[in-house]
Amino acid sequence: MTAGRAWGGGARFPASLATPVLLAFAVFIVVPCALLLVKGLEPTSAAGDWPDFTNVLGLFDSKIGQQALNRTIRVSLIVTVICLVAGYPVALFIARCAPRWRGLLLAVVIFPFLISAVVRAFGWTVLLGDSGLANKGLIALGLIDRPIALVQNEIGIIVGETHLLMPYMILSLLAVLQRIDPNLRHAAESLGASPVSVFWRIVIPLTLPGLLTGTLLVFSLAMTAFATPFLLGGGRTPILTTLLYDYAFTLFDWRLAASIGIVLLILGILFVTIHRFVSSRGMRSYG
Amino acid sequence: MGDLFLRSGRGLVTAMAIFWLIFLVAPIVVTLASSFTSSTYLTFPPPGYSVRWYVSAFESEWVWSTFWNSVVIAVVSTAIAVALGIAAARVLARHRFHGRGLFEYAVLSPLIIPGVVVGFALLNVSVLIETQDAGLLNLIIGHTMVTTPFTLRSVWSSMAGSEISLEEAAQSLGATRWSAFWLIVFPLIVPGIVAGAIIAFTFSFNDVTISAFLSAREARTLPVELMSHIEYLPDPTPAAVSSLMIIVTLAFFLLVERTVGLDVFADR
Repeated sequence: MTAGRAWGGGARFPASLATPVLLAFAVFIVVPCALLLVKGLEPTSAAGDWPDFTNVLGLFDSKIGQQALNRTIRVSLIVTVICLVAGYPVALFIARCAPRWRGLLLAVVIFPFLISAVVRAFGWTVLLGDSGLANKGLIALGLIDRPIALVQNEIGIIVGETHLLMPYMILSLLAVLQRIDPNLRHAAESLGASPVSVFWRIVIPLTLPGLLTGTLLVFSLAMTAFATPFLLGGGRTPILTTLLYDYAFTLFDWRLAASIGIVLLILGILFVTIHRFVSSRGMRSYG
Repeated sequence: MGDLFLRSGRGLVTAMAIFWLIFLVAPIVVTLASSFTSSTYLTFPPPGYSVRWYVSAFESEWVWSTFWNSVVIAVVSTAIAVALGIAAARVLARHRFHGRGLFEYAVLSPLIIPGVVVGFALLNVSVLIETQDAGLLNLIIGHTMVTTPFTLRSVWSSMAGSEISLEEAAQSLGATRWSAFWLIVFPLIVPGIVAGAIIAFTFSFNDVTISAFLSAREARTLPVELMSHIEYLPDPTPAAVSSLMIIVTLAFFLLVERTVGLDVFADR
């Protein structure tokens, strides 16, 4: 997505066009984020000076903050691994199947994208509830005797976020899988390579960029998801985003809520920096 | 031997793929099926079938009022996001100036900042300037800011293919800058505008994260209201509302598939 050549007055700032846009982003994004920073670094005591980092740092000394941070990282890692392991065969399958089926399968992957996270989480509360299909299935298989709790805990968050984010992984992988020249595989096979070594030595290396994009995308979106952990995790298993909401609306401690916001902001910037570093695709796939 | 290995490997990939594809549709199918239950609690499969919860959904005042809020917010914020997106895309596609990188970074920044941060930061400001009760306005502002990067990206990529020489030719033949834009550039970027608007509208209509922070008492969106009903009411009405949202989305999805193509959603 490179821009066309310079048009008009060279290095002149296109004021009439750019000013309204810049003004909107300055007033509604930059200033609010700056004020969030001000809020989060407010001194805890009346005598203290600004900036006071004890809130942001103290957040992870408190038991609940520490737990929320650990849970956020743990859940995001597990979700990323499941999306990777599950998404790869799905992408491979879709890339290889007959074109008339491909459209339908792509629709199955893309359609959940368009449905509100609330609706999807609701479907999972029905499926994972005590009398839901998941518990019934596990009992029928003889794996458990009586229903186990699959929602209002970390399992619920993991299942819901996996469902939320797997399409991102599949689409990232499909983008690179479809660009692999089939002649490469034929050449390797005609020279005597086994299907396994074709997979490990040709397919995997060529899909590495998509794998990296998908992994970073899923991990960063898992860290910042809100509705899914809110509905499927319940009040006793907060992650950073739901803890921010709790501090803002249940405990009314906006200074602490703002400090969690600062941490999430830093994480967001960190991921984009890593993403820019590992791929030249820039921010195109962030969404 | 190798052939058997190949076939079993293929079989394993197929089996895993089918399992996860079922996983992707499962909650959607279960929501649809369980919404037709005749009982007062939710189970799947339901003990009997009825449309009583759909009747209850259509008779609920909260469903209609929040639905219209969501529509108004999505339409207005999409319209503004498209206008901002066109202006920003034109700046980035046609002009070189100092700080152009910074401009791009600023306009795409809502993709970097987590939704809860945008929502809470805007709420914090609205409390400071005492506009927190203007829920509809705050929601429109929040949705506009987070959807502008989507409209910018799709308009920008459609501009990259349009010819500058055509515009220059029109101007050298006496067209004003505006008429050159409207007659030459605009028709070329219409597909990008449509694609961006579709993404922005779906994002806005479905959003919970930003809306959960900015919804005021009298201005709540459908997903936010639905979330609080799911949280507190163990009644199948939310199942019917969720199913209606799925059905409307499916109609929209098929319309997009037939007209614009699904690539609109794949590239985000």
